[in-house]
Amino acid sequence: MPSSAALWIEIVSRHGHLLQRHRFERDEVRIGRGYDNDLILDDPFVAPRHVRIVRGADNALLAEEVESANGLYEGDGKQRVARIALNDHNSIRIGRTYLRVRDAAHAVAPERLVKARIWAWPLMVGLAIAMVGVQLASTWLHQTTEPRMADYASAALTACLAVAVWIAMWTILSRIFSGRARFQRHLIIAVSGFLVLLVFYELAEVGAFALSQRGLTAYRYVGLWLVVGFFTLLHLRAISASHSRFKAGAVTAITVAAIGMQTVAGLQARATTDLQSYVRRLKPPEFRLAGPQSEERFFAAAQGLKKTLDRWRTEQPGEIGDYAVDDDD
Amino acid sequence: MWLWCLALGAALCLDAAAAGPREGRPETLSSAAKGVYAAARPRLLQIRTLLGSTERQSSIGSGFLVSANGFAITNYHVVSQYVLEPNTYRLEYTAPDGKRGSLRLIAFDIANDLAIVQLDKAGQPFFEFEKRALSDRMSRGERLYSMGNPLDVGFTIIEGTYNGRVERSYNDRIHFSGALNPGMSGGPAVSSDNRVVGVNVAKRIGGEMMSFLVPARFAAQLLSRKHAPVALSPEAIRAEIGRQLTDWQAGLYKALGEQVLPARAFGPYQGPDSPAAWFSCWARTNAEQIPRPRAVLQSTNCNTETSLFVAGDLSTGQLRVAHSYAKSVDLNDFQFATFLSGQFQPTWFGWNRKRHTRTRCHEAFVGAQVKDAPPLRAVWCARAYRDFEGLYDVSVLAVTQDRASEALVSRLSMHGVSYDNALQLGKRFLAEIRFAQ
Repeated sequence: MPSSAALWIEIVSRHGHLLQRHRFERDEVRIGRGYDNDLILDDPFVAPRHVRIVRGADNALLAEEVESANGLYEGDGKQRVARIALNDHNSIRIGRTYLRVRDAAHAVAPERLVKARIWAWPLMVGLAIAMVGVQLASTWLHQTTEPRMADYASAALTACLAVAVWIAMWTILSRIFSGRARFQRHLIIAVSGFLVLLVFYELAEVGAFALSQRGLTAYRYVGLWLVVGFFTLLHLRAISASHSRFKAGAVTAITVAAIGMQTVAGLQARATTDLQSYVRRLKPPEFRLAGPQSEERFFAAAQGLKKTLDRWRTEQPGEIGDYAVDDDD
Repeated sequence: MWLWCLALGAALCLDAAAAGPREGRPETLSSAAKGVYAAARPRLLQIRTLLGSTERQSSIGSGFLVSANGFAITNYHVVSQYVLEPNTYRLEYTAPDGKRGSLRLIAFDIANDLAIVQLDKAGQPFFEFEKRALSDRMSRGERLYSMGNPLDVGFTIIEGTYNGRVERSYNDRIHFSGALNPGMSGGPAVSSDNRVVGVNVAKRIGGEMMSFLVPARFAAQLLSRKHAPVALSPEAIRAEIGRQLTDWQAGLYKALGEQVLPARAFGPYQGPDSPAAWFSCWARTNAEQIPRPRAVLQSTNCNTETSLFVAGDLSTGQLRVAHSYAKSVDLNDFQFATFLSGQFQPTWFGWNRKRHTRTRCHEAFVGAQVKDAPPLRAVWCARAYRDFEGLYDVSVLAVTQDRASEALVSRLSMHGVSYDNALQLGKRFLAEIRFAQ
C-alpha cells in the first residue's frame, strides 16, 4: 500500500450523521481555525492550530493535539487526551466539532439488493376507505333526526383532516431525525390506528350494553390511551430502529401519565357532579348477551346498595372515601 | 308545569324590588278591609332572619300572634335558615308600630310549612282561629283578608276569595284567589270577623292571583301540642326534621299501598299509572312535529304536587310516574336504540353535594318470569340524604327489550322515601309493566 494513500476526513453531527467529507492526499493533515491549516473549521471553540492527523510508521492513523485550550477528546468522552489512535469507528471532538477519519481501505457494508417495491397504495387506499367508512357508519347508526349530508361530510372530513395533520407531523419528524419522510409507513400506521380507535370506541359501547358491564364504557379511556400509545410507538419505530427501549419507556410513561390524569380528573368530577353511573347507551335488544336476573335478585341487589349509601352519608362531601371507585355488582 | 314559589321570604325574590316603603298609600280598600286591618294591626308581625355577623336581613316573612304568652305562627320556610343554621342566623320581629325584638323558636311542622315562634314579651292582643275553618265548613266564594308585609314595603291587607281545598294535592292547602307576594309568607288570612282561616304560604308562578294557604287547623294542632323548649343543637334539629319527613312519607306511601296501580295501555304494552287523585298528569307527543319524527314518541308524566320545603337548596317529597312509548317510523334497530337512550334517564330533581350522597345504581336485564310480561332492562338508582338518616331519593328505570323497533320506557322517581317503601313501590311498579291484555 502506498504511503500517501488517500485519506478522508468527515465532519459529522453529534449523532454521527455526515455533514461534510474532505479528501486529502497526504500523510499529515493540519486542522484548526487558522488559514494555515489544510482543513479550516469555523467553530469558535477550535484553536487556530488545534490538531493534526498523521499516518504512523505502521500505516495507522493518529490524531494529535497541537496547541489548544479546549483540548482533544475521543467521541463524547470526558477525558482530555493528547493523542488518539484512529480506527474505523471512533470519532474525535475538538471544540464543538466531531470529526471522523477514514482511509481508502475502510470496509463498507455489502451492497443491498434492490427488492421489488411493495405496491403499498392499494393497502393505503383500502385502509383509508375503511376508516372513513367506519366513521360514516358510526354517524349513521347514531343518527335519529333527519339525515343531512352535512353531518356525514363533516364527520368524514374531520376524521381525514385529523389523520392528515397527524401524518404530516410524523413525516416531518421522520425527515428531521432520520432524513427520510417515510410517508407511506406513517400513513399506514396512522390510518390503522385511527381505525382501531373508532372500532374500539363503538365496540366498548356495544359490549357494555350486551354484557351489562358499565366498566366497559366507564374505563374505555384506558383502552383508548393504550391504543394511542401503541400506535405512537409504531410511528417512533418507523422513524428509526434505534433507541427502541428508550422509546418504549417514554411512550409507556406518557401513556400511564395520561391515563392517570384522566382518572384523577374523573374522580374529582365525581365529587362535584352526580354521575348516575349506569349504561346510558341502549343497543338493539338482539345484542343482549348477559343473562337476565330474576326480579327477586334485582331487588336484592338494589337493597344491597343501601349499605353503601349509608356509609357515604357519614363521610364529608368530597372526602377520599367518596371518590372510591364503584365496585360493580 | 306547576311551580310553587315557596321561598316567599327568600332574599332573591326581594332583590328585584328594593324600593323603600311608599308614603301616602291611596285609600282604595273597602271599608270592611279598613275595619279588619285596624283590628288586626297590633297582632301582626314581620319576621326577619338576620345574618348574625352583619345584622342585615337575609330573608323576610310575616307572622301573627296566637296566644297571650307571645306565641306567633309563621311559615317554616320563613325561619328555615335559622332552624338549620342557628349559629349563623338569628330571628327578629318588627311590629307595625315599629317596635322590634328577638324571637325564640318553639316548634315547626315541615309537612304543613308551619312554625311557632315566641316573642320576648307577653300580653299582646292575638288572633283566634275561625271555627268553621277548623271543621272545614267554609264556603267557596267567602271573602278573606290576607295580611303581611310584601317585599318589605310595609304592612298590607289584601282582599281575596276562599276557593276551597286544592284538588290534586296530597298536602291539604286552601286555594285563595288573591295577590300574595313574597314577604307575606306566614301572615294570616282571616274572615271578615277577623278570625284566622289559613296561613299565607305560596303562589303559583305564571298564574294570576292564584295563591295558597295552609288550613288553620294545622296551625291549631301544632299550637295545641305540648311544647317542650326546642333544644337548638343542629343535630337535634336535623333529627327532628328527619323524623317529621319519615313520618310524612310513611303516611304517603301507606296511602299509595292501599291503592291499586291502574294499568294504562301504550301500544302493545301496559304500564302502571298514577294511583291517586293527587297526581297531576300530562301527556305529550312528537307525532305532529315538522320535520316528521323518525320515531313517534308518546309520553305521559304524573307528578304529585307534594314538594316539601326543607331548605333553600333542598325540597323533597316529590313522586313521579312517567312512561314514554316509542315506535320507530324509519329508524333502523341501532338508530332506534340511540333514540330510546334519550328517554332512558331518571327524572329526578337536582343534586346538591351538601345535601345528598352520590348516586349508586344497580342495573341488569330482568327476565320475564311471567308470559304476559316483556323482558326488561332495569336500573335502580338511589342516593341518601346526608342530613336525614333513613331517607333516600330513588329512581327506577325500565325499558322493554322484546322488540327492536318499539319500546316502553317507564320511570318512577321517589324523593325523600324510606328504602323499604321505595323497594315496595319499585317492585309493584316493575311487576306492572306487561303486554297489553
